[in-house]
Amino acid sequence: MITLTPAYKDVPLVGSPLPEIPLPTNCPGCGVGLDREELADRAYVCDCGHHFEMRGEAWIAFLADLDSWAERWADIRPHDLLNWRLPKPYSLVIDQLRSEGLNEAVRTGTCRLGGRPVWAGVFDFRFVGGTLSIVAGERLARGLEAAASERVPYILVAASGGARMQEGVLALLQMAKVNAAVGRLHAAGVPYFSVLTDPTFGGTAASLALLGDVNVAEPGAKIGFTGPRVIKQATYADLPADFQTADFQLARGQVDMVVPRTELRPLLAHLVDLYST
Amino acid sequence: MTKDDTLTVWQVVELARHPERPYALDYIRRWAPDFVELHGDRLGADDSALVGGVGSWAGRTVMFLGQQKGRNFPERVRRNFGMMHPEGYRKAMRLARQAAKFRFPVVCLIDTPGAYPGAAAEERGIAAAIAHSIMEWFWLPIPVVAAVIGEGGSGGALGMAVGDRVVMLENSIYSVAMPEAAASIVWRDNSRKVEVAEQLQITSRDLLAMGVVEEVVEEPAGGAHTDFDATAKALERTILRYLEALTRTPTEELLQHRYERFRYIDSLIHADADFGPKVGSGPA
Ligand SMILES: [Zn+2]
Repeated sequence: MITLTPAYKDVPLVGSPLPEIPLPTNCPGCGVGLDREELADRAYVCDCGHHFEMRGEAWIAFLADLDSWAERWADIRPHDLLNWRLPKPYSLVIDQLRSEGLNEAVRTGTCRLGGRPVWAGVFDFRFVGGTLSIVAGERLARGLEAAASERVPYILVAASGGARMQEGVLALLQMAKVNAAVGRLHAAGVPYFSVLTDPTFGGTAASLALLGDVNVAEPGAKIGFTGPRVIKQATYADLPADFQTADFQLARGQVDMVVPRTELRPLLAHLVDLYST
Repeated sequence: MTKDDTLTVWQVVELARHPERPYALDYIRRWAPDFVELHGDRLGADDSALVGGVGSWAGRTVMFLGQQKGRNFPERVRRNFGMMHPEGYRKAMRLARQAAKFRFPVVCLIDTPGAYPGAAAEERGIAAAIAHSIMEWFWLPIPVVAAVIGEGGSGGALGMAVGDRVVMLENSIYSVAMPEAAASIVWRDNSRKVEVAEQLQITSRDLLAMGVVEEVVEEPAGGAHTDFDATAKALERTILRYLEALTRTPTEELLQHRYERFRYIDSLIHADADFGPKVGSGPA
């Protein structure tokens, strides 16, 4: 639990009305039947503490004060550089996801959070597992550079399986591209807050996601470099039940805090104020 | 020297992993016979998968950092098959900072299937260790040349490959993930490694064409393992040529170019008309 001064209790729990998300009829945490509207007002967190998965546009609505979101570089499109066909053509995968209204694994833009101007980069796990791609890397790098030059705090919401295989080594090199930009943001003295949601792995965890001035993990989020399936394959290890959870990473010094989503916006507003000099 | 363009991608993978292939110390000891190896991250451990130290090369002291595989089974185990733990990246950065103190150029030799994919590495923060290394390389005010000498696997390789110039030996590979891992990720079936290797475009010529590396250094006919001395000589000529130019480059220009090199690493792709400025004319 986070101690907040009364001023931050006024920062609304959610920035804008949240869009509908896929929900089961009963909460997997407590078994209670779910009231969609009530849950949306509570940032899709059940009274029992269960956090329902929010993706892309839900996170943007969550962060941004009403009508304050200004998306940038939404027109940069992915391309099938390697003529990838395995197990199905990458170009078809992209077309399918775009026809579902998804626009790449990262969206970025500016908004207000409790009245404070911020830059935001939001991963969307539904787009090829939130994988770091050339488009994702380009949007992140441009946003980080803009935040540095405008001296506006940057908030990342991570949810990613790592670098995108279908873009080959150029996807890997996005790790260097975005870390170069994160370095300049730090050098400019601009605050950078990273929110780690479930799951954050691979090249995303090993690049910008763990480089925040403050790393905040969602309760229960899995965070790591190598996923448990691959670890078991490679080492035949028995992994503890809490392996790579937010609390596991807190205990091992990788994140500063584990914060319920219902307290996240007041916290971020507080941090923006504390770190703005 | 003969160029063998008839090799399949998988044959290149096998050459890159050839058990007789020269490893980092085989090069370093040839280039700098007075090499002194240094150990430890000063935080509690020493990672044998990463060798580091100083030696004199072409009239100046150079900091060598190399991912090191073992020649026989006990050494392979001791070197963890070239797979670094977090301590390896922390040791590398300690030595890179030391190089900055003394204005020694840094030469990184890349040869790893990836960072160690085990619970111990996770428990000690492998993701953050790689992330911090990649970020810090951009601020080290000394020339950095990286050479992929065998396997350049994933983030574990990139953590040591943020150079002003990056070159590859002809039969080395550099990939977002090793073919087995990539097949497991996209196909849930790591037996499709050969097909996936062909898709990934991981050979030195693929990477040169993409603009990811500056140069491919030819190997002796049959591969690097057939003639360690000739391979070491060829790689030496290339690296020294780059170091010569880089050591004359003003620091500010060096760091700006290093930033742009990676910031616009994908600029050859022309993925979009709107896709960023191109790399400016950098130092030699
Ligand atoms: Zn519940």
